[in-house]
Amino acid sequence: MTAPTESDIDIWDDRILVDPYPTYASLREQAAVVHLPKNDLYVLTRYDAIRDALGDPETFSSTSIGFNLMVNEALQGTSLASDPPTHTQLRATLSQNLTPRALRGLKVTIDEKADKLVAELAASGSFEAIDALARAFPIEIVADLIGFSGHVKDNMLRWGQAAMQVIGPLNQRTQESFPIAGELYGWCSSVTADDLAPGSIGRGIFDAETRGDIPQGSAGHIIHQYLGAGVDTTIASIGNIVALFGRHPEQFELVRENPDLVPAAFAEVLRYWAPVHIWGRKATRDVEIDGVTIPAGAQVGILFGAGNRDPRHYGNPDSFDIIRNPVDHLSFGYGPHGCAGQGLAKLEAHAIIEALARRVKSLTVSGELREPSNITRSFEKLNLEKVVSA
Amino acid sequence: MRIELDRPRCEGHGLCEEAAPQLMHLDDDGELVIDVPEVDGPDLDAARSAVRVCPVAALRLAAA
Ligand code: HEM
Ligand code: SF4
Repeated sequence: MTAPTESDIDIWDDRILVDPYPTYASLREQAAVVHLPKNDLYVLTRYDAIRDALGDPETFSSTSIGFNLMVNEALQGTSLASDPPTHTQLRATLSQNLTPRALRGLKVTIDEKADKLVAELAASGSFEAIDALARAFPIEIVADLIGFSGHVKDNMLRWGQAAMQVIGPLNQRTQESFPIAGELYGWCSSVTADDLAPGSIGRGIFDAETRGDIPQGSAGHIIHQYLGAGVDTTIASIGNIVALFGRHPEQFELVRENPDLVPAAFAEVLRYWAPVHIWGRKATRDVEIDGVTIPAGAQVGILFGAGNRDPRHYGNPDSFDIIRNPVDHLSFGYGPHGCAGQGLAKLEAHAIIEALARRVKSLTVSGELREPSNITRSFEKLNLEKVVSA
Repeated sequence: MRIELDRPRCEGHGLCEEAAPQLMHLDDDGELVIDVPEVDGPDLDAARSAVRVCPVAALRLAAA
């Protein structure tokens, strides 16, 4: 017999990773905190519990955001893996180049690139949306932003995927990804200002280091975090945009009729399918949530996607409805560690949605494939046929 | 109640302005300006929504 607040599932089971929402629903109905002995983990399942935990770094420490010791050690000293007050300092340096005001100058270029790419694809009548759009676009934008090209750009997809995969438990996916994540780390530790295009943000980060505005040796780490946190997640979200518009033509029609709905549409895509499905914290003391105690020292797993479908917070949570404009969704996290790159992610995704609304009249998904993956949940393939240009 | 901003933490995401345009705005440099810091009545609800939507928890309401 398992206790009412315990479950014998493996949250990294292939079937659950590919289709987690039925599992999330039953865990969420069980309790706000469910103990998973198989994973040696306490998962947070309800909206309020997740938001409160993210807003309370004293109780829920980021020293254990990953689910294996090796990755947590490797991440030591990064913004992602530190707690206030150290975090506050690191975060300021990290987010400087990513705030909406810092990114303002990029909007025109990003919009133009999205429009050109989507127009070309739409004109072709049918295409595979993951490689041609969801991956191609963010990789091009991030390459311009950091200022790299050539073999680095060619490797960015593998590197970005591996950087996320290794956050998982020590399963086969994690073990196979460590050497690849190491290649990204290696490049970031050896890159110099001269390797990056003049005028790029990457180059600017090195200039800040030379001026002494940020600590010596931190430029490579900052770039590492942008690439590790910002590539695979954005790719997932753009694939999800296309897939959800394919499934819900009436919702796509709403955006086509009223482009003011673009931000609401992206917020709902993120709420409906969280790109990051699990993320870690460590309990620093015994903490009771809705009658369940997480013991001090325990590994905690935050199920963003479960919180995003909590009927205690969102009415009719399993329906995809852009009109609800869920600005308070959990997919970017919340609080001190709330996604530092959300301004950039929104610039990219809004540009794609606007371009789709302008250039495409209708699209039909004829085939889709997901591969299980430890942390990000995305499509591997998404075939579109009968794409009608507007 | 009084709206308080943790200035170093604010990154200018602007969601607060969307929730309560009558109380705060982002200026031309993208810096948040709180136009009405002391709130009560209907403004209090708007202020609560603004506090709620800030993605980095930079805003809070304190007893005036
Ligand atoms: C749709 C796309 C994205 C999603 C869903 C996403 C999701 C997240 C989440 C859930 C966190 C919180 C981690 C935590 O609480 O410990 C986070 C943090 C972070 N994200 Fe994103 N992210 C996205 C895009 C980006 C981009 C484009 C960048 C950078 C170029 C980026 C950089 C970061 C960084 C640096 C952090 C760590 C912030 C800190 O620890 O203070 N993200 N992201
Ligand atoms: S929502 Fe938060 S971060 Fe954004 S402008 Fe308002 S206070 Fe600043």
